[in-house]
Amino acid sequence: MQNSSHKVLVANRGEIAIRIVQACRMLGLDFVCVYTAEDEQSGHVRLAKETGGEKSLYRVSSYHDANEILAVADAAQATAIHPGYGFFAEDFRFARRVTQRERGLIFIGPSWRVIRELGDKINTKRLARSLGVPTVPGSDKPIYDEMEAEEVARSLFEFQKQCGTEQPTVLIKASAGGGGMGIEEVYDIDLFRSVYRRIRNYALRQFKDEGVLIEQRIRDFNHLEVQIVSDRSGQNPVHFGTRNCSIQSTGLQKRVEVAPGFDPSSLPYSFDAAQVLTDITEHSLALAREVRYDNVGTWEWIVARNGRPFLMEVNTRIQVENGVSAAIARIRGKRGVNLIAEQIRIGLGEPLGYTQEDITFEGLGIEYRIIAEDPTNRFTPSSGRIERFSWKEEPWLSMHTHVPTDAAYDIPTEFDPNLALGIVWGENLSQAQERGMDFLDHLTLDGVDSAGAPLKTNVGFLREKTARILQF
Amino acid sequence: MLNIGKVLEELKESPYEEIVIRAPHCGVVRFEPLEPGARVSGASGQWKEKPGTCIAVIERERNKRPIESVDKGELVAVNRNLEGTFVEAQTPLATIRHFLSKDEVLKIILQKALYLFCAPERAKYYFIPEVEKNIQASGSKSVKVHDGLELFIMSRMKREAPLAYSGPGGVIYAKYFERNENIDAGKPLIGVCPESQLPLIEDVVLRVQTEWEERE
Repeated sequence: MQNSSHKVLVANRGEIAIRIVQACRMLGLDFVCVYTAEDEQSGHVRLAKETGGEKSLYRVSSYHDANEILAVADAAQATAIHPGYGFFAEDFRFARRVTQRERGLIFIGPSWRVIRELGDKINTKRLARSLGVPTVPGSDKPIYDEMEAEEVARSLFEFQKQCGTEQPTVLIKASAGGGGMGIEEVYDIDLFRSVYRRIRNYALRQFKDEGVLIEQRIRDFNHLEVQIVSDRSGQNPVHFGTRNCSIQSTGLQKRVEVAPGFDPSSLPYSFDAAQVLTDITEHSLALAREVRYDNVGTWEWIVARNGRPFLMEVNTRIQVENGVSAAIARIRGKRGVNLIAEQIRIGLGEPLGYTQEDITFEGLGIEYRIIAEDPTNRFTPSSGRIERFSWKEEPWLSMHTHVPTDAAYDIPTEFDPNLALGIVWGENLSQAQERGMDFLDHLTLDGVDSAGAPLKTNVGFLREKTARILQF
Repeated sequence: MLNIGKVLEELKESPYEEIVIRAPHCGVVRFEPLEPGARVSGASGQWKEKPGTCIAVIERERNKRPIESVDKGELVAVNRNLEGTFVEAQTPLATIRHFLSKDEVLKIILQKALYLFCAPERAKYYFIPEVEKNIQASGSKSVKVHDGLELFIMSRMKREAPLAYSGPGGVIYAKYFERNENIDAGKPLIGVCPESQLPLIEDVVLRVQTEWEERE
């Protein structure tokens, strides 16, 4: 890092806060962390205490309180804010406030104009359609009116019937939601209103916005992503390949991510998979160029069984699964790519310093999300105490977790139940799968839930799904 | 059978509680010129529109927030060593000794008399929309519950799940949670009064009203 005089406030928690701190240290940057009372035992608190000096840690009332975050930034003399993912990561008002206040700071993420333009699923759809990028059929604005919502749903049912779809299905999504939260399927128009009301009420409680999107549910699809990186010039976006995030919970939340998105060298597909990967990458880059995208971001795609891709949305932030793309990427042939460090570096104004030709890919990466939940009961989170957490260190494995391995840990109920990310690298699909199973076999995650029963985890689910990775 | 007289006597022996006033969020704190021993009051008025005694002011992002006494009582300690410093959320600022009011005594006794339906897990709890509507329109006592009635939405880790009431039928006599507040496992959510117990509860209310002397 050419200019290491910056101090970065890490406005997040858990695993991502740890990775941001590690990236700052790698770049020679100073940092400051925040935490809430519920997170006192979290690994990011310990890391900040151990590596950041006396004033590297502030207790705040909430990670959602912008005043609080900015007050800490001033008190700690931070010059930049890294929002991580969730919380303020895709809040253009926060990004604008950070940069435009009297004591201006750098927002390590896309500029607020870009977040405003792409951060909203609806604007993204409109923009994509204007560029000829295919998008999922459905509403292109948030709907607040029940009659209008029903009318859109009715037309989508009709459209699917005309297309000969076996089981026409409509998705109702909280417009302000994300990460698979606030999404339900409707199979019968007569049931539409009750589901609509449930999602609307949920959206109001969780996101304080009752707008919903109505979309066609594309069945039998794969969920792919394209990782984009672009510096502040916004002129030379590059991609760091594709990911396949099709292994999800029943609530449509990702559990296993694989890079690259398909593996036509070892698996048969009924369409030209390599061409699909090229197409979605080019479409993503075209949209990035159009809006002069200026940080890291993820373009999320649905690929139907016939190979037809549809853009779902753009996540204008670093994703949880950034590490699996980094695991297979090489810059000028070098391993050890760290997309969070790249994000910070370009966020602070450094030029990218390489072109698409300098980026190559090697092998296959699998990321497992280790979660205390019950896959046999609709992936219900299991809250309680982790008593033993360990794994076998391997050169092909990287673990990211905020859960201590040398002390018991009470899982806070205030946040997402993600406990750890295990990223496995292999030279090819079969080796990655083999290593993935080896990792899961040596993983110990024991504890008790709040009722005193053994803590439930998704490790068995991850093991079961490993064999099916990248199969359509 | 609840011995109201005994409970009242126990409360009279120690009729106060110590309340620690903490910084609700980060900021630079400035204390008001109040010394230990000063009388303080909590918010009052029909809608709690009259603020309590201001103990300190916390400033952040050019917003000043008065930190008021949450209840009436006597100021017993002020952490003046923090004057002018940037404090973190939850930092103790002052302590007050608060003498229990009739309503608080009633609440304590009712928790012993009512059937308490408790939170199974630490989570945020909401009444289902239909029940919420009824409570807003006519108060919680207008809602009758019975075993198995789907009454709550339990929200934790961003997931929501319905929660059915289990226990004797009756009316919701007391509600112990607020919207968007995390409730620890085992803490009461509602106090239910079976209809057969209503005379006993009315007696509790009457006795507290007549026997408890409020002190300044």
